[in-house]
Amino acid sequence: MAAMVNAWRWWWGILLAFFLVGLSRLFLPLPFIIEVLIFSIYTMGCSFLLGRVGFISFGQPAYLAAGAYGTAFYLFYFGSNPYVGILIGILSGLAVSGIVGPLFVRLRSDYFALVNLALAVIIYYLMQKVLAGITKGDNGLWFLTNIASTPVLDLGKPDHFFIFSILVALAIWAFYKYLDDSVFGACCLATKINEDKLKFLGYSNYGVRLLAFVIANTTTALAGAMYAVYLGFVSPEITSPARAADPVVVTILGGTGTLFGPLVGAIAYTGMKDVISKLIGNWELFIGFLLVFIMLAGEKGIWGTLQPWLERLFSRKKASPAAGEGAGARQ
Amino acid sequence: MSTEIIKTVGVTKCFGALVAVDRVDYSLRENEVAGIIGSNGAGKTTFFNLVTGYYPPDEGSIFYKGRDVTRMTPQQRVALGMTRTFQLTSTFDNLAVIDNLVLVYFRAHRDSTLLKLLLSTCRRHRNEDKIVATLETFDLQHVRDRLVKNLSLGEKRRLEIAMAVLAEPQVLMLDEPLAGLAESEIKVILEVLGRRVGKQTILIVEHKISHVKDFVQRLTVMHEGRVIADGGYEECLSDPEVRRSYWQIDTEQEGSKHAAA
Ligand SMILES: Nc1ncnc2c1ncn2[C@@H]1O[C@H](COP(=O)(O)OP(=O)(O)OP(=O)(O)O)[C@@H](O)[C@H]1O
Ligand SMILES: [Mg+2]
Repeated sequence: MAAMVNAWRWWWGILLAFFLVGLSRLFLPLPFIIEVLIFSIYTMGCSFLLGRVGFISFGQPAYLAAGAYGTAFYLFYFGSNPYVGILIGILSGLAVSGIVGPLFVRLRSDYFALVNLALAVIIYYLMQKVLAGITKGDNGLWFLTNIASTPVLDLGKPDHFFIFSILVALAIWAFYKYLDDSVFGACCLATKINEDKLKFLGYSNYGVRLLAFVIANTTTALAGAMYAVYLGFVSPEITSPARAADPVVVTILGGTGTLFGPLVGAIAYTGMKDVISKLIGNWELFIGFLLVFIMLAGEKGIWGTLQPWLERLFSRKKASPAAGEGAGARQ
Repeated sequence: MSTEIIKTVGVTKCFGALVAVDRVDYSLRENEVAGIIGSNGAGKTTFFNLVTGYYPPDEGSIFYKGRDVTRMTPQQRVALGMTRTFQLTSTFDNLAVIDNLVLVYFRAHRDSTLLKLLLSTCRRHRNEDKIVATLETFDLQHVRDRLVKNLSLGEKRRLEIAMAVLAEPQVLMLDEPLAGLAESEIKVILEVLGRRVGKQTILIVEHKISHVKDFVQRLTVMHEGRVIADGGYEECLSDPEVRRSYWQIDTEQEGSKHAAA
């Protein structure tokens, strides 16, 4: 009973969060909200890896690019249906993470961080130089005019794309919420903190990590595919090593491993970037300092700081502190 | 006549120049309840690690039911029916007590392929009869939903033993399970383990021999990596080499004599 009430509360939380994002359409510019939505999906993969499995990766742009280029190749050379394009982007993310995963997840976590960065660098140069014949190098692939209009949700129209993004984000959040509750989710937390014990219970740390890695980076590729369709353009810039730490920063900014951290982090980061870049020229430098300050101020991140406060607010009506304690702490 | 379940032949493990386990021949029969004692650094934990596959031996072989498992991974050995606990309590501190048990339950009693792990929620298994019964037995109901990192040492230890018992292995290997527990808790645990006697092979490492004296059927004494005595309780204690090298037994025995008087 208590568990059911608790579960309902968290589904309700996801719906509320995305309802608020939808509502913000009334007073915020559309590109901003779409950027936030895609960026939050991008961050979700990273946050899951870092907070749930204990893997920090400085190469997330590699998987973003896998998705974006998968979509871009399809829409530039082969077809025009954006949904098929996105599906192909997801599949290429699945393929790339399925190929490198078995090698990467065996590594110690510090090497894991670096080997991913190396992959991002490799993909950057592949797209910029080696495969320039098909990727058009730094000029990038432009395919906005190739994208056919589709019935119901026409992804070529920004307003429709916005609704599509909300629906996808909602689905992703529902999926990760489910993942948190699954036995697999418990295995992820277990391998993060005590791999010896998990091994001696008879589980394979390798298997758990590999599956988590593939899930997280396929999510990242989905974000890349959405960028591609939304912008109608993909260039090697998307996997630029200079942006390699972005998702890690936003993960920590939002609250590592929490369900709402990636969304809150994406709002805060995109917002800061927008506001500050309008006010000063060297905004990247300024944001750098601001992030250092924010992280020193609270290692829990924004959501980690807000959550207890919100929980108190919500549970005041039906006070049942004991019921949600275990599960609540896992949010 | 019960059969041999675990057998080691000349297993040796060195750490640099130190020979932590020195050519140990050991055998454990099915449904036997055996204890290993020995002073600090005698090599008891290292021996456990060798048998369960934490690391491979430098020399010698390990057999499980006649099968050579020397090169098998821990998971393979668990699948064959071995479960162990750790000397330094080892649990998943970032999970709730109940979910620690769910993980054990799932591995031991359900099909635990990655796909099944993904398709099952913890919530659905939290009320399994065996888990509820285990919580009750080890007096952990009141902390059921608490994160393990918020438990006391005693509760944590009880949880780890509860996890090992819930797995219902053929061989239950406990490395100093009673350390750090209060007398009342020790009684509860020995009672629970006592109920499993005859159904399960139990190997228990203990520092204080007085605790397991009435519990084990057979005792092995280790000293500086070697087995120096093996047999019944009285037999081991009267062994001159044991008396010489393991002075603690002396004092323990004196202590219990005083208590008896
Ligand atoms: N991983 C290791 N590296 C180096 N030396 C080790 C290692 N593990 C154990 N040793 C050494 O091997 C010897 C045996 O240690 P072991 O832990 O097996 O003893 P023990 O009988 O379990 O002692 P205790 O009663 O203190 O638990 C000790 O001298 C210890 O210092
Ligand atoms: Mg020891």
